[in-house]
Amino acid sequence: MNMTLYAKMLKVHAKSISSYAIGSALYLLLIIGIYPSIADAPGLNDLMESMPESFLAAFGMEGGFQHVSDFIAGEYYGLLYVVILSIFCLMTASQLMARHIDRGSMAYILATPNSRKKIAITQAIVLITGLLIIGITTALAGVIGTEVLIEDKPFEAMTFLNVNLVGILLFYVISGYSFLFSSLLNDERQALGLSGLLTIVFYGMDLIGKMSDKFDWMVHLSLFSTFRPVEIARGTVDVWPMITFLFLLGTVLYGVAILVFSKRDLPL
Amino acid sequence: MIELNGLTKKFSNGKGIFDVTFSIPKGEVFGFLGPNGAGKSTTIRHLMGFIKPSKGKATIDGMDTWKDAAKIQEKIGYLPGEISFLDGMNGMAFLNLVGGMRGMKQTSYRDELIHRLQFDVKTPIRKMSKGMKQKVGIVAAFMHEPEVIILDEPTSGLDPLMQRIFIEIVMEQKEKGTTFLMSSHSFSEIERTCDRAAIIKDGKIVVVENIHDLQQKQRRLFDVTFASEEEAKRIKQSPLDVVSTTDNRAEIAVQGDYNQFIRALGDYQVRNIDIHEQNLEEVFLNYYNKEADPS
Ligand SMILES: Nc1ncnc2c1ncn2[C@@H]1O[C@H](COP(=O)(O)OP(=O)(O)OP(=O)(O)O)[C@@H](O)[C@H]1O
Ligand SMILES: [Mg+2]
Repeated sequence: MNMTLYAKMLKVHAKSISSYAIGSALYLLLIIGIYPSIADAPGLNDLMESMPESFLAAFGMEGGFQHVSDFIAGEYYGLLYVVILSIFCLMTASQLMARHIDRGSMAYILATPNSRKKIAITQAIVLITGLLIIGITTALAGVIGTEVLIEDKPFEAMTFLNVNLVGILLFYVISGYSFLFSSLLNDERQALGLSGLLTIVFYGMDLIGKMSDKFDWMVHLSLFSTFRPVEIARGTVDVWPMITFLFLLGTVLYGVAILVFSKRDLPL
Repeated sequence: MIELNGLTKKFSNGKGIFDVTFSIPKGEVFGFLGPNGAGKSTTIRHLMGFIKPSKGKATIDGMDTWKDAAKIQEKIGYLPGEISFLDGMNGMAFLNLVGGMRGMKQTSYRDELIHRLQFDVKTPIRKMSKGMKQKVGIVAAFMHEPEVIILDEPTSGLDPLMQRIFIEIVMEQKEKGTTFLMSSHSFSEIERTCDRAAIIKDGKIVVVENIHDLQQKQRRLFDVTFASEEEAKRIKQSPLDVVSTTDNRAEIAVQGDYNQFIRALGDYQVRNIDIHEQNLEEVFLNYYNKEADPS
């Protein structure tokens, strides 16, 4: 890694990293804030029972909410968290490599005595740093928010942290393939488009698979099947297989991206 | 210092560079001439290790430009043909970034260059004019006083005063034994600084020769205005190569023998002489024709 490049890149992306982190934390606090009024509303679980089973299943809400942690897992980690982190990973990944190749500024970065591998590793670490900052800020907001905003409601801190850990690792993989496209292609928009498309296809397959029995095989092909926030929050699944799988897959993707970048022709 | 040996790169569209061979000894300023799309930048990209040759190889100080790209960069300063910096920073932040990535400690020469090229390093890069960006690029290429400086169209965007300052800086570095390779599409731009030059066309080297020989071979067009139309007609009978005449003006081509041109004109009433701006093909017409004929 080259420290000068790392520091500069982190500074260039600091604004976006901090706004995603703050945005994510604030949304989560908002969801936590409305929990008491919803939990106390007598009709909620009745209402949920009246909804179609498949719809609830799609958002992991079957069986109602017992705890704050499953409530926020379902309400925040099921959709908004995924959207916010996806956008961050896709945008930042395409900016860190493909944009510099596309615009030619990579020429200046490579015209220094640093190998391409070293440059790609530095840019990858910038992306992972951003992801960690956003992920950890969100997790902290959840822990502190429930502590402050909610009185004597059961909150499972351990399983809540597992939700965050698996979430961050899921985006380690998503940022990994976005970074791979970004290192492989010469066009920033193409890199962004392809990684965006892949993410939407994965998410769509997961959603359709969960809602319809006919297509339930799709779930297994989707990356999102590794991230079931409500189940993780309830502690009903073993998270270690997913953690290992996501960590290995993400590391392989980043590794391939770095290798591809160091071996290919660059139109600079 | 720089050796290119049968360097070939064929792109999927059939364009590229073919069997490019020349070598530049240490301390020489070498010009690399060619019209748009001739393959100058493609050749330079090989030297920088950005692309891998299909055939042949290039070395700088004995090191392979593809395999040892990172190591070679310790010795090189580079100005790309298309200037594009990283966004979101000013000139100084950019120079600090590049300097920092080089582990450069000494900044006095950098500051001297900034002072001589007269630009405000605090301007955000996206607000800079083309010439200003070019200056930042020049500083980035020279500031660490490398052994080899590779410049892709260095004077594009610079005004005449700045071009002169740039040439001064090149000459000073040359005194210190720096080796230069600079590309251009205009001969007049490199004849002031270069010892030797190569001309490339359609990806193939047409000629590698020293500047004085090239100067002898360049064909220049003069627009001569005479006092009368008869004189313009009469000059056609002289041994000069008269390309065309209109009214009292004649277009005369001169290659090498300027004395004959001056002597011949001595017998006429000359009102005005203008030099015709020409592109590279016209200047080196015979080279290009020689290439074109057999094919
Ligand atoms: N990556 C590429 N893929 C396909 N063709 C390419 C590629 N890079 C360059 N070319 C083609 O190779 C030829 C040489 O291009 P090059 O950029 O080397 O020209 P140049 O001599 O630098 O021209 P200019 O004076 O315009 O800068 C051009 O026809 C160009 O279109
Ligand atoms: Mg060029």
